[in-house]
Amino acid sequence: MTASAGVGDPAGREGPPAGARARGPLGRESRWAWLFLAPTIIGLAVLSAGPILAALGISLTKWDMLTPPQVVGLDNYVNLLHDDRFLKALRNTTFYTVVSVPLGLALALGLASALNQQIRGIAWIRTAYFLPLVTSATAIALVWLWIYSPTGILNGLLGVFGIAPQRWVSDPVLAMPSIIAMSVWQGLPANVIIFLAGLQGIPTEYYDAASVDGAGRRARFRKITLPLLTPSLFFTGVLALIGAFQVFDQVYVMANPGKPSESTITLVYFIYEAGFRNFKMGYASAASWIMFLIVAVATILYFRTQNRWVHYQ
Amino acid sequence: MTARVLPRRNQGPSAPGSARKIARKAGLYLVLIAGGVGMMIPFLWMLATSLKTRAEVFSSAPFSFPSGLHWENYSNMWFAMPGVTFGTFFQNSIFIASLATIGQLITCSMAAYAFAVLTFRFKRVLFALILATLIIPFQVVLVPNFVLYRYLPWPFSESGNFIGTNLPLWVWAFFGGAFGTFLLRQFFLSIPHELADSARVDGANPWQIFIHVYIPLARPALATLAIFQFMWSWNDLLDPLIYLRDLPSYTTTVGLAFFQGQFVGKWPEMMAGALVSLLPMIILFVVAQKYFVRGITLSGLKG
Repeated sequence: MTASAGVGDPAGREGPPAGARARGPLGRESRWAWLFLAPTIIGLAVLSAGPILAALGISLTKWDMLTPPQVVGLDNYVNLLHDDRFLKALRNTTFYTVVSVPLGLALALGLASALNQQIRGIAWIRTAYFLPLVTSATAIALVWLWIYSPTGILNGLLGVFGIAPQRWVSDPVLAMPSIIAMSVWQGLPANVIIFLAGLQGIPTEYYDAASVDGAGRRARFRKITLPLLTPSLFFTGVLALIGAFQVFDQVYVMANPGKPSESTITLVYFIYEAGFRNFKMGYASAASWIMFLIVAVATILYFRTQNRWVHYQ
Repeated sequence: MTARVLPRRNQGPSAPGSARKIARKAGLYLVLIAGGVGMMIPFLWMLATSLKTRAEVFSSAPFSFPSGLHWENYSNMWFAMPGVTFGTFFQNSIFIASLATIGQLITCSMAAYAFAVLTFRFKRVLFALILATLIIPFQVVLVPNFVLYRYLPWPFSESGNFIGTNLPLWVWAFFGGAFGTFLLRQFFLSIPHELADSARVDGANPWQIFIHVYIPLARPALATLAIFQFMWSWNDLLDPLIYLRDLPSYTTTVGLAFFQGQFVGKWPEMMAGALVSLLPMIILFVVAQKYFVRGITLSGLKG
């Protein structure tokens, strides 16, 4: 109720005096809206949007948080590009992303097609496939560390076929692929769930018509399922891309813990190490801004490809 | 999208002849169940190892069943740390995850209501801005947020500020969030606005309409948000690693990682710890699978 109470409008609602039309019910409602939004706006300013700019400012300084920050211009960025450990982190993260994203999506697509069945007990079967969804990367990395250990199940399995035991986690060549295999396994359920929803949205008439026309299983998949699933593929692709750049937990745990070699260090680990182990806040911020730019550019480029392969019904 | 999306499916053309049909169905079961067991291998391996003796782990064949059920691995793990039990880590995790969940439920539903129901200037710009934060890697704000918490005074901590307390792990949740706002806004939009209109005619203000009309109807969506936020807080490693300083304040994830560094090679105890830390989430998942599935299909966000 406001001061305008008493001036009823034809719809029976409380209306403002004619002179205050512009600030009328809308103005009153917008005051309510800002009230509802107050926590969100404070959060946006103080905890997310603001800090992104603050990180840019900090990245131009040298700061250990004990002595006042010194402005050093672009020095941090120049030094990063000559820092071997940073370049390794950049290369490892790129490798991780380029391999794990397509591999994860392809496997999830296959699995979703297989699980898209109406048979008794399918809900229970799906639960088994979905279980990794809720598990922490920390605990999962511990389990896989054991699977990968010299006396672990993987070497045991390979031994059956006469293959010599491998050092899956400590071998510089194998370490990153081992982490990728684990992450793909853990990331499968989320993608499978999205693809399943996509598959169930495809009208059955399409398949019936194609069968009448004599299209085989493979042709139906290629000509109907895949094109109609491209929106889901595009969507999961964006999320997988952004998520892959942020890989940290697995690397931290697998590196026993917290000191990854140059073969497994990732960008987020580098930021964590620079900022919270070595207290080089400016250096860490510069690295995080480079990461931010890479993710932004990769996302924009990915969106640019949308017209070429994504079909919307 | 509704919770019942998954169980339905397209009926593909079925093979003629019931014998072939049955054979196909049997084959399908076999493949799907074998695949499911394959996905479960890490869990089964974790369970088997957690019940073996340490000598057994290194000497026996990797696929063997434990010779006896060595539950003492669990108590050894539980009391392995000096002065602190694993139960303390559990309490810390439950405390942090619960507060973060409550904060998100309150502030995201408020923001979502404003975006879905109310009219105000800059609505689109603000909503776009919030959505944009969804695709920004949060690590870019790691340092500025640390600086912020470093300078926020807190008389009850050793440092005199937020560092070393669990405050940075849940206070943020009382200031909105992109995922929850998006999820709940979608849900609020599906509620017919005639309900709000008639309440307004009866003289209800937006707050009363929010509390008495929208919140009760949005229970399923609120449950979805609650489950996801609880899981994210429970599973988070990086933030607790940065802000928590002493053993008694550790969450289960940090405790587990710390355990890993301290007890290299104690695989049975370590697997027991990993399993115990996963158990609450596994139970939650089995009980509330439809909410997880709904959350993922609605928003595409991953766990």
